[in-house]
Amino acid sequence: MTAAADRDTSGKEPSDRASGAVVPMVRAERVRKSFGHQVALRDVSLTVAPGEVTCLIGPSGSGKTTFLRCVNHLERISGGRLAVDGELVGYREHGGRIHELRPREIARKRREIGMVFQRFNLFPHLTALENITEAPVRVRGERRADAVRHAEELLARVGLADRAGAYPAQLSGGQQQRVAIARALAMRPKLMLFDEPTSALDPELVGEVLEIMRQLADEGMTMLVVTHELGFARQAADTVVFMDAGMVVETGPPATLLTAPAHERTRAFLARVL
Amino acid sequence: MSPTEGVSPDATVPAVASGETGAIETGAIETGAIETGAIETGAIGGSDMEAVPLRHPGRWVAAAVVLVLAAMAAHSLATNPNYQWGTVGDYLFAAPVLRGLWATVYLTAIAMAIGIAGGVLLAIMRMSANPVVAGAAWVYVWFFRGTPLLVQLLFWSFVGALYPRLSLGIPFGPSFVSGDANHVVPLFAAAVLGLGLNEAAYMAEIVRAGINAVDIGQSEAAAALGMTRALTLRRVVLPQAMRTIIPPTGNETISMLKTTSLVSVISYDELLNAARLIYARNYQTVPLLIVAALWYLALTSVLTAGQYQLERRYARGLAPGHARPRRTEAAR
Repeated sequence: MTAAADRDTSGKEPSDRASGAVVPMVRAERVRKSFGHQVALRDVSLTVAPGEVTCLIGPSGSGKTTFLRCVNHLERISGGRLAVDGELVGYREHGGRIHELRPREIARKRREIGMVFQRFNLFPHLTALENITEAPVRVRGERRADAVRHAEELLARVGLADRAGAYPAQLSGGQQQRVAIARALAMRPKLMLFDEPTSALDPELVGEVLEIMRQLADEGMTMLVVTHELGFARQAADTVVFMDAGMVVETGPPATLLTAPAHERTRAFLARVL
Repeated sequence: MSPTEGVSPDATVPAVASGETGAIETGAIETGAIETGAIETGAIGGSDMEAVPLRHPGRWVAAAVVLVLAAMAAHSLATNPNYQWGTVGDYLFAAPVLRGLWATVYLTAIAMAIGIAGGVLLAIMRMSANPVVAGAAWVYVWFFRGTPLLVQLLFWSFVGALYPRLSLGIPFGPSFVSGDANHVVPLFAAAVLGLGLNEAAYMAEIVRAGINAVDIGQSEAAAALGMTRALTLRRVVLPQAMRTIIPPTGNETISMLKTTSLVSVISYDELLNAARLIYARNYQTVPLLIVAALWYLALTSVLTAGQYQLERRYARGLAPGHARPRRTEAAR
């Protein structure tokens, strides 16, 4: 099963698709974000092509997570343009002006973007299976039987077929994060965002989560991953983006960026973490 | 290592460790310090150390004092003829008392229903992005918590003096229905409105505290799945908030059961008023007050058992040892 075959195509065709050119899955142009006086993102520009895996690396406070949260509009950008699959995030361009979207429209757009959080954020009052079926049933209006079948497939895929009835508190951190990945996949997203998915895990549990993510990358899922796991970036990423102080310092394939970085700041960061 | 050297590190090290983690885990909860205090003594008392047990003469003295006082109370209850237990027995199941009892139960149920529905509504209004809506909820809570319930009850019973005619229609325009206020707001409605609207103000704070206690990550996860705010509230936030909301709501219900006795001042015929009407005729004041007290005790005991069951149900999915629901309420 590939992510592309799974993808929901019922949405509106973006206008620039008609031109025949490949629409980037994520296109950020000079994205700015500030919290009050504190500037978190300064003119961040990057693109993620469909099927590509991009890893965002950099010291803490560099704006990686903030940028990721902007992509599904958990944070509202302060300036620039940010588009997912050819459509602006949180806004609509009409008559040369930018209009805010209604909460319902933003919610609809978010269905296509899966997100995995650092602290899993599973719903503690629901079992693993219920966590996965909740959104397909309530948001997409899938029939419960179909949603349960799909959820069981996904649980099997992340190696937790036997834990369907467990509550999150009864699962290890690694298992919780794998359920969280299955929950995001249940919405059949076009794009998956990972916000430091292994940072809250005990070291011996990191591998099982990265393994699932590698599988997902191999199946052609478009992924934007904020991570400190440079090993994962080296193996699975098509592009690595190094951010520092709210700016993109350097972008390149992992082989180049992680071994022969062009910038002094990248070199300094890599020297500290490797 | 000699036995005496071994005692102090073994006994204190785990206690200190548990104290530290307790302080971190329950950082936001005021009772954390008290709980860890209990753990410390438990850890020391539960050791298998072979040592001469410490004697606690103070405990024996305290127990003796309490037992003597209890014996005096029991003796007095049994021998003082003024309690008139025979009369208590005569009236315990008397028809007017049972009617009053039913009215109390009924009043409690409806007032709490209004209180909970109103409290949820006010809590959601209070968190609204619209400052007028949020402000209105704040003013409501300020007013209804800031004036005595007794005054509010009297007010509702005299609403006819303030607005002799009530009508339903377009604001400042024509009215469709209108009626005499004393007819529209009978005694029962005055009692229910007085209790329910007051309760809504307290419940609003309880619900708001419960919603705020749910991790923001839960709403973000729901939003990332494409859930709307209303769906997130209903399916994700409120079910988790219930765990924090249930225990104080149980307290509120038990409190409401007893507070209904206040409506006897507007002559609504509940349990206490039924007892008062009887002793006004036969002057058996003490036995009838005991009858009322026994029934209140019976009902609160039933409610306490019910609350325990509810708490267990909403603790679903929580590992043992997870932060327990707060028993104290933030509102009062």
